[in-house]
Amino acid sequence: MNYMNQEKLEPKRIKELKVSSGVLSAAISPDEKRVVSAAMDGVYLTEIETGESVKLYSHESYASSVEWVSENVLVSAGYDGRIIWFDVANQSEIRNEKAHQFWSWDLAVSADRARLASVTGQYLAGGYKYEPALETEPSLRIYDVSTGSLLHDLPHVPSVQAVTISPDGKRVAAGNLMGEVRVYDLDSGALTHQWTTNDFTSWGIIKSHSYLGGIFAIRFAPDGESVLLAGMGPMRDPMAGNGKQLWQKWSLESEKPILLDQTHDGESGEGLMEALAVDPALPFFVMGGRLRGGDWNAAFFDLNSGNRLHTLKTGFRITDVRFYEQGRRILIAGATGQGKPKDEGAFDPFGRLEIYETFAGSNV
Amino acid sequence: MFEMKRSGCGSPEHEIHRRLFLQGSMASASASVASFSGLFSIPAFAESVQKSAKKCILLWLCGAPSQFETWDPKAGTETGGPFGAIPTQIPGVHVSSLMPKCASIMEKLAVIRSMNTEPSEHFQGIDALTRGDTPRPPFTRPILGSVIAQQLGQLDSPVPQFVLLDPCPEGNEFKSFKAGNWAGWLGAEYGPIRAGGDYSIPNLERLDSISDIDHQDREALRKFLSRKYENDQRSESAASFNAAFQRVNGLMSCAPLFDLSQLPEADRDRYGRGAFAQHALQARHLIENGSTFVMVANGMPWDNHVFQHEMHQMLVPELDNVFYQLVSDLEERGMLDDTLVIAMGEFGRTPWLNDARGRDHYPNAWSLAMAGGGIRGGVVHGSTDALGIEVSEGRVDQRNLFATIFSALGIDPYQEYELPGLPTFHRVEGKAAPIKELLV
Repeated sequence: MNYMNQEKLEPKRIKELKVSSGVLSAAISPDEKRVVSAAMDGVYLTEIETGESVKLYSHESYASSVEWVSENVLVSAGYDGRIIWFDVANQSEIRNEKAHQFWSWDLAVSADRARLASVTGQYLAGGYKYEPALETEPSLRIYDVSTGSLLHDLPHVPSVQAVTISPDGKRVAAGNLMGEVRVYDLDSGALTHQWTTNDFTSWGIIKSHSYLGGIFAIRFAPDGESVLLAGMGPMRDPMAGNGKQLWQKWSLESEKPILLDQTHDGESGEGLMEALAVDPALPFFVMGGRLRGGDWNAAFFDLNSGNRLHTLKTGFRITDVRFYEQGRRILIAGATGQGKPKDEGAFDPFGRLEIYETFAGSNV
Repeated sequence: MFEMKRSGCGSPEHEIHRRLFLQGSMASASASVASFSGLFSIPAFAESVQKSAKKCILLWLCGAPSQFETWDPKAGTETGGPFGAIPTQIPGVHVSSLMPKCASIMEKLAVIRSMNTEPSEHFQGIDALTRGDTPRPPFTRPILGSVIAQQLGQLDSPVPQFVLLDPCPEGNEFKSFKAGNWAGWLGAEYGPIRAGGDYSIPNLERLDSISDIDHQDREALRKFLSRKYENDQRSESAASFNAAFQRVNGLMSCAPLFDLSQLPEADRDRYGRGAFAQHALQARHLIENGSTFVMVANGMPWDNHVFQHEMHQMLVPELDNVFYQLVSDLEERGMLDDTLVIAMGEFGRTPWLNDARGRDHYPNAWSLAMAGGGIRGGVVHGSTDALGIEVSEGRVDQRNLFATIFSALGIDPYQEYELPGLPTFHRVEGKAAPIKELLV
């Protein structure tokens, strides 16, 4: 479908919702009427129509990722290293696995909802210049969704911050602090690809002599033969957070991955990009994150040409972007600053969920 | 130059070690130019310097660490962040889950949870928390290391009395601060020798082509001629050059102290391989061998406006281990009672998160920790409210802190300084009280 010829990509916000604390991940329910959010103080279920939000349960720390695995069952991961299966209809926990000693940074579920992957890793000083120490626990763990049984422990170098499973469910890819990506065969657990891009990681020159940044989002293209990465370009002072808003696209067709494309010159501002989503029906993808400098913090890109098609400025840090099952709508999740508490000691809600029609400018 | 109304701190220990130093220096002068290996060849001197004199290691956590992720966790609250809290040796006292090693030696540590200071920007904060007061131009107050080196250090020691170990040549506000006047009214001779990383001290090794005897002869001749010139001409610049030469000579004799590679590999592994940890080990080594004050920094890595939790996951465990190893090593060597270890930054971090997953500057309610050197262990002073927003008990400002540090080290906190035409100044102004429960 050539959307460029038929319809105009002109996203329009149709819903603004709030969650009590910052949202790190969110997923649309199969019936598309609810959103589940992994937030700093727990997992929330929000009715899209009414905006009514209820807390389902909590992790012992931030909930970092959440996915629906059936009509009424969701699975979440947290900075407590736990993965929790939860039945929304019965309001009951189904399973609770201690997957990692450190955080689950990210969790991915295969398209057929059969397997899930969770990544971990604490960045600890391994050398004089703060080269990361080697892993002390498996960085990437693969589970059977229906039974909760562990299928694979796969090695990587901490901290492993992003993970994704290919659309055909055959591969899992994970990216880390140092810009290293490892791709494994999900059936055998064999390493199929491994490469490092230095374009997302900073070694602090100004304030700190340590590493910061890395790959914060990773997604397969629909054909499963290329991988998109997102993060922030290198800076002299990583704590300024003013690196280039950066994505890269790598081909996996040969044994040695090849850089196909990346954020085009003149099309980026500054800020950490930590969310990627690929449209399930049309050839474009969305990258989102924080606006530090420039005029956008979410942008639509042509999957083939890499050209930037449209930009958004949400006014909050974006942590997750999801397309609806059939495309045409996206969910953007994130957080504003927490702000000071009110006189009574309560904080205003600072989690954000927004829904956009992607082709609102045409006769959809 | 300011003049002290009362000289010396009056500490008996101080008097003894000065007397022993003079004995030692006279003896060593007749033997040879002091070399590092020969420095402690006189048992009485070595024992005095290594065990009796008060010393201090400042782990300077520049950029300002989060109290929530270190000494004052509020786990499970809206401000607590993602890390949990763990119990310590002291019943009812918890620290961040990132600090299990310090939790296990809490009876040796003193924690202040009620720091409340004014400056909220780095330069001003660094200035106030290293000098003990806010500026009073044109008066430049010496920083803590200069005061301690001047009060407790050994005159004419070849080992630098005040050492700054900081490998980071940059550092924004800390860089600017480092370029300033550290020793203040005490004079440049009480400023630090800087080393670490890019700041290796060059050309300290004697050339192979010059023998020990040649080197001593050359130095004797240089000293004779320059002293004569200094006396004949009443030259201050010659005096200054002489002081510099003396310092370089001292440095040459103790160059091995600055060589990380000469430290035992097992110790280097135990402290951790990051620059801060390695220099903390080096600080212990310097203190063991005659330095009086060593400040360990690594730029200003704690300023986590962005990636607060991602950075603290690495920085705090390093601090936890370094503090634990230092305290344990000093105790094992019988030096903890006389060596004060301080871990602090210039302020704390906000209870609330900004939109960049960071915490911003917060001087209103923050924490620091100390151990040894006249400080009572197992004490947690002060507290904050449930969300860590305000100090609820036992407020401490920089004056109280410095009065505590000076008192612990046997230095008169209220010593007066006079300069014609200017008001009288004190080492700690306003008779600010030390925290009594922290003093041994």
